[in-house]
Amino acid sequence: MSDWKQNLQKTRYVMDVLLIISFMLISAPQSTGIPLHEWGSLLFIVPFMIHLLLHWEWIKKSAKRFVRKMTFKERFSSALNYLLYMMMLLIFVSGFLVSVSLLPTLHITIPVQDFWSKIHNEFASFIMPVIGIHLALHWRWIVNMVKKMSMKGARA
Amino acid sequence: MKYLAVNWKLRVTIIFLVSICISSLLIALDQTGWAAQINQQGFSHGEEGGKPNFPVILIYILPFIKEIVLMGVPMLLALLVMKVSSSITAKLRNMTR
Repeated sequence: MSDWKQNLQKTRYVMDVLLIISFMLISAPQSTGIPLHEWGSLLFIVPFMIHLLLHWEWIKKSAKRFVRKMTFKERFSSALNYLLYMMMLLIFVSGFLVSVSLLPTLHITIPVQDFWSKIHNEFASFIMPVIGIHLALHWRWIVNMVKKMSMKGARA
Repeated sequence: MKYLAVNWKLRVTIIFLVSICISSLLIALDQTGWAAQINQQGFSHGEEGGKPNFPVILIYILPFIKEIVLMGVPMLLALLVMKVSSSITAKLRNMTR
């Protein structure tokens, strides 16, 4: 497990596992409580940012590739990735605007609008199927990486 | 983390700047008629109160089950669609040969 930092695919795998676990934890405020949900969401920016940084090459090429010839699956996947990013931003923004723990602790008071509560709530549910499809589109890579990492673990 | 360390300050700055620009545009949504309509109608979520008539442990487990179902079902459906479409494409290719 110690060499995963030296391999891009393995780094992506480890960071993506952390990303999905942290996402699942912060997406259950009924279980964790609102303060942990809000502070955890602030910390979630780090694995989310790492995910984007580890796919920097894809981000750079995707816009150019989108206008060129692409298979339907690639085009759909690219559009879905951008949709996910936009949804994640909307959930972050609306989350901060309806904050009842994080912003008051920082002595920032914003009147909570029902609009942002509704947006935050509905998009937080709607992003999950989108993530499910995102995972399905990378299923072969996930299975390969699980095999690779578990084979390595068994050998060690 | 050598893949993160390469030019990370510039890359993080770009991601932050783009995200802040898009977020600023998203914040403007609350000036729309759609927002005004929702604010007028009101929105409440999970504030009904009352004692749930199921074991307390389920309160902690059910949100995670909801997440697994909300992500897992579309994922399985997408995998099914991809498998069916790839087998149809392969059959069509064989027929045209």
